[in-house]
Amino acid sequence: MEYIVEMLHITKDFPGIRANDDITVQLRKGEIHALLGENGAGKSTLMSILFGLYRPDAGVIKVRGNEVAIHNPNVANALGIGMVHQHFKLVHNFTVTENIILGMEPTVGPMLQTRDAAKRIKALSEQYGLNVDPDAKIEDISVGMQQRVEIIKMLYRNAEVLIFDEPTAVLTPQEITDLMQIIRNLIKEGKSILLITHKLKEIKAIADRCTVIRRGKVVDTVDVADVAESRMAEMMVGRTVNFTVDKRDQERGEAVLSIRNLNVLSSRKTQALKNFSLDVHRGEILGLAGVDGNGQTELVEALTGLRKVESGSILFKGRDITHDDIHSRVMAGMAHIPEDRQKRGLVLDYTMEDNFILEIYGREPYSHKGFLNRKAIRDHAEKLIRDFDVRSGQGALSMGRTLSGGNQQKAIVGREIDHDPELLLAVQPTRGLDVGSIEYIHKRLVEQRNNGKAVLLVSLELDEIMDLSDRIAVISHGELTGVKLPKETNESEIGLMMAGIAGAGGTE
Amino acid sequence: MKSKISVVLIGILLVLAVAGCAKKEAPAPAAPSMKVGMVTDAGTIDDKSFNQGTWEGVLRAGTEFKLDTKYLKPSGTTEADYLKEIGNLYDAGYKFIVTPGFKFETTIFQAQTKYADAKFVLIDGSPHAGDWKNVVGPNTVSIFFAEHESGFVAGVAAALQMKTGSFGFIGGMEIPPVQKFNWGFQRGVDYANKNLGTKITIKAENVIYQGSFDNVAAGQQIAASMYDKGVTVIFAAAGGVGVGAINEAKARATAGKTAWIVGVDVDQYADGIYTGDKSVILTSAMKRIDVAAFDMIKAELDKTFPGGKTLTFDAKNNGVGIPAKNPNLAPEVQAKVEEIFKLMQNGTITVPADQGTFIK
Amino acid sequence: MSRFKNLFTALAAVVLGLLAGAVFMALSGSNPLAGFYYLFRGGLMNMERIGNTLASATTLVFTGLAVAFSFKTGLFNIGASGQMLMGGLTATAIGLSVQMPRMILLPLIVLAAAAAGALWAAIPGFLKAKFNVHEVVATIMMNWIAYWTVYYTIPAYFKGTFLETESRRIPALASFRVEWLTNIFRGSYINMGVFLALTAVIVIAIILEKTTLGFELKAVGFNRYAAEYAGIHVPKNIVLSMSISGILAGLAGATYYLGYAVNMQIGVVPSAGIDGIAVALLGANSPWGVLASSLFFGILHSGKGFMNAMTKVPPEIGDTIIAIIIYFAATGVLFTRLWERITRKWNKEA
Repeated sequence: MEYIVEMLHITKDFPGIRANDDITVQLRKGEIHALLGENGAGKSTLMSILFGLYRPDAGVIKVRGNEVAIHNPNVANALGIGMVHQHFKLVHNFTVTENIILGMEPTVGPMLQTRDAAKRIKALSEQYGLNVDPDAKIEDISVGMQQRVEIIKMLYRNAEVLIFDEPTAVLTPQEITDLMQIIRNLIKEGKSILLITHKLKEIKAIADRCTVIRRGKVVDTVDVADVAESRMAEMMVGRTVNFTVDKRDQERGEAVLSIRNLNVLSSRKTQALKNFSLDVHRGEILGLAGVDGNGQTELVEALTGLRKVESGSILFKGRDITHDDIHSRVMAGMAHIPEDRQKRGLVLDYTMEDNFILEIYGREPYSHKGFLNRKAIRDHAEKLIRDFDVRSGQGALSMGRTLSGGNQQKAIVGREIDHDPELLLAVQPTRGLDVGSIEYIHKRLVEQRNNGKAVLLVSLELDEIMDLSDRIAVISHGELTGVKLPKETNESEIGLMMAGIAGAGGTE
Repeated sequence: MKSKISVVLIGILLVLAVAGCAKKEAPAPAAPSMKVGMVTDAGTIDDKSFNQGTWEGVLRAGTEFKLDTKYLKPSGTTEADYLKEIGNLYDAGYKFIVTPGFKFETTIFQAQTKYADAKFVLIDGSPHAGDWKNVVGPNTVSIFFAEHESGFVAGVAAALQMKTGSFGFIGGMEIPPVQKFNWGFQRGVDYANKNLGTKITIKAENVIYQGSFDNVAAGQQIAASMYDKGVTVIFAAAGGVGVGAINEAKARATAGKTAWIVGVDVDQYADGIYTGDKSVILTSAMKRIDVAAFDMIKAELDKTFPGGKTLTFDAKNNGVGIPAKNPNLAPEVQAKVEEIFKLMQNGTITVPADQGTFIK
Repeated sequence: MSRFKNLFTALAAVVLGLLAGAVFMALSGSNPLAGFYYLFRGGLMNMERIGNTLASATTLVFTGLAVAFSFKTGLFNIGASGQMLMGGLTATAIGLSVQMPRMILLPLIVLAAAAAGALWAAIPGFLKAKFNVHEVVATIMMNWIAYWTVYYTIPAYFKGTFLETESRRIPALASFRVEWLTNIFRGSYINMGVFLALTAVIVIAIILEKTTLGFELKAVGFNRYAAEYAGIHVPKNIVLSMSISGILAGLAGATYYLGYAVNMQIGVVPSAGIDGIAVALLGANSPWGVLASSLFFGILHSGKGFMNAMTKVPPEIGDTIIAIIIYFAATGVLFTRLWERITRKWNKEA
């Protein structure tokens, strides 16, 4: 069997931790090889070694059978290895062509010569079915299209091996489907692909083989076709993962939240919500499905008081809170797991104990007459860290910044649920998290619902919505396109409603 | 918490350590001869004016009599800042201290008792406690100049040279020496108009005190607006502000326009040169500050230091006047001015020091 | 842990500053060891000089705290000079026109100066909160408004008998200097401000570390979006933070013009307002760090003249050397952080 890239017995130590322990990954020519592991399992370190950002303490790298020393990313590029990063490295006010030739600009004398480059980009785009316009500006094209620009950038540099780092994290369902097709095209044209992900479904759908890494060690390399999803999850997490959410049937109670004819403007002063009405009841998880950017953000911000309402009203526990401030909504029993945990959810430069009292520092016992009670704050933090299994280096005194994404999210979820809210607004609560954390957070959301509380779940992951929701509301272009019971619908119907085609017959 | 305490402790230790070892050191070696110190006023040592004039006198005495000389520059213009530098000079063995400018009045009042074994020369001021009740200590000499006489001579000279036209005045701060320059200058112009057949006007709008001695940009702006209003000669008694006025005059003279400056305190001819040896300085109303500083140092060496006295340098003792050479004045003007200066020296012409009926 | 690191960084920065100063002294033909010896001796060799060092440090503690406090809460108050001027002007106005027992007069002056500083800083705070006008721009403008306000007000209402450019002398009744303190420190300019400054350090430390107010303000400073999410009123906190910063700068004005100086002069932007930035930087924005770095800068300021008097270093070069030490010490904090990053990276690769 011919291998194009081999990383053999790679070991890398960081102070206090062995990030890679005797890892061997072999990429065959023309295959899609998935690298599966939880956050912090050692995938990024391994790829950084392949790109010359770190040097391994032990082990060798072979490319096309020859042992190579990769000192820096340029060496990797010269060997035909290219990477599509999770966060794109593009200059927004440059065109596609300008971005692609950046760093290797073709010149005639002192003059930039872009015409030939644009032609070649056009050709590459057609060859791989990428459909990229070389003259478009980055700021004018969608996220999915930007990713394709990154792909062309690698192809333009004659990359034979392409590495995709969590490529679907930022994409809509349609874009994911498109990306899968692009990856298949790449294989057809003779490229080899290393896919870093923790999404089992994608691996199952597209990868040939899969190497599973847990805590710096290789668990196994398997042929994807032979192994069930649940088995791969077990390998990744190290224990049995329960995919089906344990949800007992229960009657929903009265409406806690009533949204009536809400009109809200977006930050760009366009109409983000149009006469939006919806009720959320006690004892239910109401899932709000929709393609990103269809008014979900504005809806949640209007509900929490972060955004001004133009017209319409919000009733919470029967009281009109349309113009209440954020603080009084929190005090009234509304909790919010924000969409962007690092922007809104945490003060990264605060310790975890301070982050845990972010909304309730003014309450007894955490403060008394304006003075903080450090002991009560510490006890509170330690309880949450224990109850919600938040892992960090220095416990309550860890800076928010030092926690992994999953633990940051668990901390936020824990904090919000600990408020014992009447209504929990959970916005993409599992975005970017590994299977273990997702399972854990889902369990907690259902627990809320079982305790007779209301949960409004806003998610871009249709699976999540389908699995968790008692009812599914679909939003498109700021309007409610319908409400369905999960039993009585399916993904394709919801998908159509997300595209703005109203569901046939209401079931509410 | 512990580390907070340690920060403070380390700070204190540092202070104590330096203070402690400092005490063990022997005092600075005694100077072989007299050490003469000077504290500058606001502005630089080369301000072409007060600081520089005083320093030149000190330096000349230093070379002539082989003395240690040193000037210090205070970090601000408060009494505390001045007194600190006097203390620094004193602690370093400089016990003959010259200070230029009235702003040292309250400072010297305190210093003359605090440092009773030092000698002080206060130029252009007299010590007081802030109440203008002058107390010149036995170790202090207070020196004044007849600025009005200096301004008068310069006014006569400028008027005679120009014959007709409009003059202006730019002052620094509105303080007695500057005011006396102004009034003397106006009196000189008035004298020339009445007795020597000139037709010079000075409008109230062209008599301005800028309010500081260091705002060069403001000096330039004020001068520009005066020249725009048809003024041909500006008497700039304003330190750094005057430098701005000179810059403006140079720019205009270079462009071929008429723009003259009457300099102040020292002969400013060299500062006004804009091309070759052509200068915009018509003449300068001088105070022989350097002479005063030099004379006092010499007196101290001769053991005739006039402690406790207030001296006035005026026309009679050649303490004020215009330069001996004024390339921009016609020879007959120069001669006429010298004639008038002699009349002032023998008392035929007396120039009052007060405002009288003159502007500002 | 991180506090210890801050202390180490600051000390390294001070050493770096002194080294840079030494190089410059050597370049100007003086022996750096002698230079530093006289510099520190000048700041500390007797009680009077220690008193003067403390008096210089007093102003810097206030302006340093003002800048550090605003930094901590995510704002850059570059307007300490203007707030100091307004605090000083208010204090001077009351000191020159109100007659009442000293026990009442001094607290009144302190409160009024604090209020004036607060108001002067609250305006940029309000503009930031309401219209998102950057506080750096607004505070610089306010500095000049303060400058010209003083320029007009002092000659118009408080000028001396025939001096246009400074106010009348502050009567002993309204002065922050007290006899017993002056006597202990042998006629130094040390004044009650030194106690006020210490109190301010303690109060600000308590506010930042122990109160819900500090919790809110820092949350807004570190991440205004998260603070907003948590229900903290961000605009209110911006105004409040600027006001507290302004109070500190206002107090700097009161203690400077009524304690260190004996009257108020026009046409001067107090340099302590800008020095406060360096103080805050070196003190890692912590109140105790500000205290320590103010003492250090105080020694430099009050020892400089003696260094000039005892060595051949000309005063102009002396100023430059002090500026270099301050500059390198302040930016040294940044250098050492860079160095840490480089060594960390090197360790990784090794």
